[in-house]
Amino acid sequence: MKISKLAILFMLSILLPGCWDNTDLTDINIVTALGIDKDEDGKIIVTVQVAEPAAVQLTSSTHGGGGGSAQIKPVYVKSYKGETIYDALISMKSIIDKRLFLSTTQVLILGERFCKDGINETLDYLHRDYQANYLADVLVARGATPEQILKIQPDMDTIPAMYIKGTAENTAIRAKVERKMLIELFKDIKNECRQATIGQITRLDDKTVKTEGTAVFMNGKLVGWLDQYQTRGYLFVTDKVKHTTVSCSVNNSKISVEIIQSSGKKNVIFKNGEPAKLSIQMRLEGNISEYIGKETLNSPEDIRIIEKKISQEVKKEINMALTKAQKDYSSDIFGFGELVHKYYPQYWKKVMDKWNDIFSRLPVDVWVDIKIRQTGLIKSPMKKDE
Amino acid sequence: MFRRIKKYLGLDNQEKDNGAIYTDTDEPLPRNIDKVKERLNTIFSECSDYIQRDIVCGEDNGICILVAYIDGFVDKKVLNQDVIRPILDYFSCTDKLHRAKSVYQLIKRCIISSNEIEEAQSMRQAVYRIVSGDAVLFINGSRIALAVGVKAPQGRQVEEPDTEVSLRGSREGFVENLSTNMVLIRKRIKNPNLKFEMLQLGTQTNTDICICYIKGIANDEIIEEVRRRILKIRSDAILDTGYIEQYITDNQFTLFPLVGNSEKCDKLVSKLLEGRIAILCDGTPYVLTVPSLLVEAIQTADDYYDHAFFASFMRLLRLLALFISTLLPALYVALVSFHHTVIPFKLIITLAASRQGIPFSPFIEAVLMIMAFELLREAGVRMPRTVGQALSIVGAIVLGEASVAAGIASNLMVIIVAITAICSFITPPLIRVTMLVRFIFLIIANFFGFLGISLTAVVVLIHLCRLRSFGIPYMTPFSPLTMADLKDSLILVPIWAMITRPKALFQGDTQNRAGIKRQEAAKISEDK
Repeated sequence: MKISKLAILFMLSILLPGCWDNTDLTDINIVTALGIDKDEDGKIIVTVQVAEPAAVQLTSSTHGGGGGSAQIKPVYVKSYKGETIYDALISMKSIIDKRLFLSTTQVLILGERFCKDGINETLDYLHRDYQANYLADVLVARGATPEQILKIQPDMDTIPAMYIKGTAENTAIRAKVERKMLIELFKDIKNECRQATIGQITRLDDKTVKTEGTAVFMNGKLVGWLDQYQTRGYLFVTDKVKHTTVSCSVNNSKISVEIIQSSGKKNVIFKNGEPAKLSIQMRLEGNISEYIGKETLNSPEDIRIIEKKISQEVKKEINMALTKAQKDYSSDIFGFGELVHKYYPQYWKKVMDKWNDIFSRLPVDVWVDIKIRQTGLIKSPMKKDE
Repeated sequence: MFRRIKKYLGLDNQEKDNGAIYTDTDEPLPRNIDKVKERLNTIFSECSDYIQRDIVCGEDNGICILVAYIDGFVDKKVLNQDVIRPILDYFSCTDKLHRAKSVYQLIKRCIISSNEIEEAQSMRQAVYRIVSGDAVLFINGSRIALAVGVKAPQGRQVEEPDTEVSLRGSREGFVENLSTNMVLIRKRIKNPNLKFEMLQLGTQTNTDICICYIKGIANDEIIEEVRRRILKIRSDAILDTGYIEQYITDNQFTLFPLVGNSEKCDKLVSKLLEGRIAILCDGTPYVLTVPSLLVEAIQTADDYYDHAFFASFMRLLRLLALFISTLLPALYVALVSFHHTVIPFKLIITLAASRQGIPFSPFIEAVLMIMAFELLREAGVRMPRTVGQALSIVGAIVLGEASVAAGIASNLMVIIVAITAICSFITPPLIRVTMLVRFIFLIIANFFGFLGISLTAVVVLIHLCRLRSFGIPYMTPFSPLTMADLKDSLILVPIWAMITRPKALFQGDTQNRAGIKRQEAAKISEDK
């Protein structure tokens, strides 16, 4: 008797609540990219890019063979308006067939207007909901709405989101864009001592996007942009450069140097309890990857000349980035504030609110040192002046 | 109602017992040969295979001998050559008068040239001898009958067992004949410490059972326990060791086999040497070994003949196969029904694409495919060998191609079922266990996802830890942890490094002789 009662209870416990969240893979919409923007009225527009797995498989298996145009598209893009992100996502169910599954989001694209209004508060949903993919790449769309960017149909990948992610990855390797994952953005937003930056994405045509440059934020609001060189300068300072190529010209010959190692040290120098100067020290190592010219590269002196030229180039980029951040945007994206907070906490408490103004006024000392290690397989150019 | 049935059955049994004529234990043999004949005729009435032959010889035809045997069971040539002809020859040449007592002794000692002679003191013994294939000689005037072993060789030759194939090592498998099996074991252990204890079980069949162990290695308490449990068996018939297995197993309500069985001689011998006890049964090539541990499922005879590195790798592979065969379908179902978040992006596209257009839920799909496979497997076991080709074609096409093409099953599910099936065959002792456990996990996975799977795994683990096989914990050497026995578990150390016998099974001197010798040799060489 007792056992049968227990058995019934057990069966009930399985059958009644058991499969409340049992959802088949075919009953979800696999969201590959998410776009968030605002319209003029301040309503939030959410754009989703949803993959059609069967079509993706089909197109990727027939890829390169021309591909029929009569097939179903591998992805579709839908937008919907709402008061909040969540509201828009839920309301979107009126135009799509299945539940939206956000964990597969590869790219999150923020609209320009949305960013200008401030992202600090509005991104709350993505932080709160368990489904959001913290590893998604965040980019800010410049000169186009997220919807326009997500609607591109790239030749290279069947899923536009993967294409965008790929370009961001590539560019980040060249140190021309800052690759920021959602979770890093949350950290930046929470960080009081430093202003957030997000990579920038622009739309070139129906098939291509370009991820280069950086969006600069000030207290959560988009204030301006850095171009690709300034971005690299910024990345040099924040020690995020892994690989990049710096070019310069010496005596009518053009040289590209591949930076293989970079370590940047920044410091705030205090005098009489007040910050007097910012200092940046860069130590780089590189290889000569290309040399278009006729000069020989036989002696160390030749290399010295190139080293000097390259370090000037890097210095220039860093200065450009600093000028932009200090003069134009007065936003401490480099994180000098962190140093102050760390080493002069008392002072930091006093100036916390106006640190960005103080930062903008401080003079900067940039010092760059580069060592060229290798010249590739050959030393001098193929044909050289004797 | 039950009581009534029981009563009825009980009465029935009693009647049967009464009906068995020869069960009268104390019935002595009559002196008079005619009375013996009469009695035997009543006992063997309607037994058309029963044959008796009168021999009358000697001076004045004074010696009457009755030879009784079962037709076909005895080798008639041998019977004639060794028993009947010598008697006739002897008594036709001599003209001495013989008294009954001396005739008996004479026949036993001097005349019969067969080397297997036993005395039967009572009717019961005599009849038992007849039905178990001996020729029994009843001599007029003697109260003792002579049972002469002239059994004709029966059954098949020793050959390689189909169920357990090994790449290396002996190919001899046990056969149905008990004495052949005993020889096969004795051949490998030439040592009087190897003991065979004979018993008869089954009130109707009188099957010979043999408990086999090596004295001094096997644990006496376990031997006593085996003996006790076997003697407790009350059954009409023992047709296979499987009957005994069910009677003597520690826990009747478990899926896991608590008694091991094998058909291979070398495997059994190694088990005996580890201190296990074997139970042989006449009429079946399967020999039981107790105690049996879980870890034996991933051990094979080949392991010990091969290099330890390969053997260890194969052991780990088998363990993996064990996990795959029980868990893979459940994990897949849990993954595609609940935990989409943990699937990598590119995989989720593939998964979703393969699931597109399938009308069933992953669970139903998995159950269908696994059932289809199990049906195929069962058919493959039961069907005549000749139609095997047809079945495998149908199986491959139905399971592999058509179900996917028809949109009944996703091709990923076919792959998963296939891998599961392959893996389940890697650990033969647990094939049926994994089949059922797989279903349990599958059902739980469909309702509770990973949480359910992990909880069920815990329950299964607890169950495994609670099991005992003849007092030895089933999970030995992992639980309780026996460090010394880990050498022959998931990782196999080379044979020369196995210095001790399995501690859990063994009593007394745990040193492995070979190990000691090796150590001593090493010591001597060091001294030098």
